[in-house]
Amino acid sequence: MNSDGTVVRLEGIHKWFGDLHVLRGIDLKIVPKEVVVLIGPSGSGKSTLLRTINVLEEPTEGKVFFDGVELTDIRTDLNRARTHMGMVFQQFNLFPHLNATDNITLALIKVLKLSKDEATTRAHAELEHVGLSDKVESYPSQLSGGQQQRVAIARSLAMQPKMMLFDEVTSALDPELIGEVLGVMQDLASEGMTMVVVTHEMGFAGRVGTRLLFMDDGVILEEGLPPEVINNPKHTRTQAFLAEVL
Amino acid sequence: MVATAPETMSPPDRGIRWFLAKQTSWSRAVLGSGIAVLTLYIVGAIAVLTSHGWTGTCPEGVTRLECSPSDPLAAGLKSDGLGLVGMVTVVLGSVIVAAAIASWKRMPNRSAREAVISGGVLAAQAVTLSGALLWFRGTDIDRFARNFLNISLIGQKTGLVWDTVVDSIGSIAGVMLTWAAVVAGLVGVYAWLRKTGPRLVIYSALIAAGGGLVWGLISVASVPSFIRGAQNTLVLSGAGAALGFSLGLVLALFTMSKRRVVRAPARIYINFFRGTPLIWQIMFAGVGFVPALRLDLDMYTIAILVLGLNLGAYSSEVYRAGIQSLERGQIEASRTLGLSYFQSMRYVIMPQAIRRVIPPLLNEFVILIKDTSLVSVLGLTIAQKELLGIGRDIYSSSFDATAWLGAAAGYLIITLPMIGIVTIVEKRMRSGLTSVIG
Ligand SMILES: Nc1ncnc2c1ncn2[C@@H]1O[C@H](COP(=O)(O)OP(=O)(O)OP(=O)(O)O)[C@@H](O)[C@H]1O
Ligand SMILES: [Mg+2]
Repeated sequence: MNSDGTVVRLEGIHKWFGDLHVLRGIDLKIVPKEVVVLIGPSGSGKSTLLRTINVLEEPTEGKVFFDGVELTDIRTDLNRARTHMGMVFQQFNLFPHLNATDNITLALIKVLKLSKDEATTRAHAELEHVGLSDKVESYPSQLSGGQQQRVAIARSLAMQPKMMLFDEVTSALDPELIGEVLGVMQDLASEGMTMVVVTHEMGFAGRVGTRLLFMDDGVILEEGLPPEVINNPKHTRTQAFLAEVL
Repeated sequence: MVATAPETMSPPDRGIRWFLAKQTSWSRAVLGSGIAVLTLYIVGAIAVLTSHGWTGTCPEGVTRLECSPSDPLAAGLKSDGLGLVGMVTVVLGSVIVAAAIASWKRMPNRSAREAVISGGVLAAQAVTLSGALLWFRGTDIDRFARNFLNISLIGQKTGLVWDTVVDSIGSIAGVMLTWAAVVAGLVGVYAWLRKTGPRLVIYSALIAAGGGLVWGLISVASVPSFIRGAQNTLVLSGAGAALGFSLGLVLALFTMSKRRVVRAPARIYINFFRGTPLIWQIMFAGVGFVPALRLDLDMYTIAILVLGLNLGAYSSEVYRAGIQSLERGQIEASRTLGLSYFQSMRYVIMPQAIRRVIPPLLNEFVILIKDTSLVSVLGLTIAQKELLGIGRDIYSSSFDATAWLGAAAGYLIITLPMIGIVTIVEKRMRSGLTSVIG
């Protein structure tokens, strides 16, 4: 743990895609066990901000610190840092040529250098954790969307990360499958995992989130305790957005 | 109330037996006569031609206008027997086609309908083939046979001479053992890595030894020159492919680099080899570049190098398209797990991309096999000549166009199995689109 007690610290982040100014000055500190929920209209830069945290997108300006280490310093070993930050995507992004177990063990063996047996044991434990002990041999194409997303979560958790990033992980799912994935995330939060969650599920945000950020046009416009922001939005833009999604 | 357990049912049998059980006597008759008339035509035509003979020998000192080795075949083609076979086929076939057209809609089930349609189509094929034959008999068959049907020419240059084989048993065995050892070694490493049993290694070694035996025999014995030509075509395309496919992969990775200094040279290379004709590349290397630099390379090596360098340019585009067809999310997920760029390529991207690029790469290989013919512009020795070179040699000494047909047959014997493999691989990778269209 570093001196100021943060897991993640963003300082003056700006991101341009060509002429498009997508992130326009973002400062953010996240402390352990926080569940930060990020909401905002489409195109406001939520995904870009999330991907800046593990430097899948390199910010044009500004600094990203993780666990006291500056990730935007090009001398930092990003591969190593990323093993401590799990990320789950809207489109699951499981590896279709590997079965559920091998999807999980790949990085355990190649990056964390676990033995094959240790990796398999850990993979099976994580699959059980997300309720899929009967699907260890299944290939992604043999799983439902909700099951695939739970394998993806198990794949990230198996790395035993210090924090997890979720980018609209239920948006590609049929309504009846959303619950099982949100359930896994809620359990994770109650176990004390530090999380940043981009979502449109306001119920989940209010119940599980410890802090809500409303993003609009590349800046964080409003933040606070989830129930307060949801019930009492101060900014007119926030009011308009919430009126639409609720 | 007690619920009864559902009856365990085996899935319905949909094979040939099921198909036959659904036939009516009429559908059986139409399909049977369709098959029969096509068989009758093919067997009948071959029998008539064989009874006249496929090739003959002329006495010494007779001009080509008075006698040609293809005269028996020409006589067979003009014979009344063949005409009869053709006429009978046309009449019978037409009757079957008419019967099929009249009745296919009234069949009681799909299998019977398919049988009637198939019988009609087979009969129509027999009618078409015999119609073509009857038309062909009306043309100048003698002239055609003299130019194109001198089959004896294709086996020219002595048959297998056993003396040379006996003399070289040692070297043939050497080739055999070498191949068996090399393949067994490679497969052994694979089997060890994959923890498969020794059976795979043994089979591979046996197959390799068999191949080596044939190879050794062809190499030392005096065989028909087209077989030697086919051997050279295989060596040129095999070695060219090994070089081209590995070079292509490296070039593809270069062209996808985010660094312009890495991309640019690869692009220049690819555009140069794709932008100039292969025949120019072969000639430039063979008569210009290599001699001018006094490089000590024989023409055969130059040919392999140019074919490989050329294929490298084309296959790199295939690899690149395959890799780029994968979703961006794949590499992002992989990098997020902490895998490096090269690990992601090796364990996530390439295994998926390879499956997608195998069919187009095999197509490139078929093209390469045919492109080896361009090598004949280089002065290769007799022993180095490939199929087209051999065909040209025979043509220029005999002025008989059958030599060209011999070369074509050689290419087809090599390329058709390759094309078959491409089709099978593609079929296995495709979703069920055919049933929607067909
Ligand atoms: N790689 C890229 N290249 C160019 N423009 C991009 C790229 N990625 C995102 N953008 C643009 O940046 C803006 C913000 O995108 P982002 O994906 O962060 O929005 P978002 O808030 O996640 O939206 P959504 O709710 O639809 O997912 C959009 O206008 C988008 O078109
Ligand atoms: Mg998004």
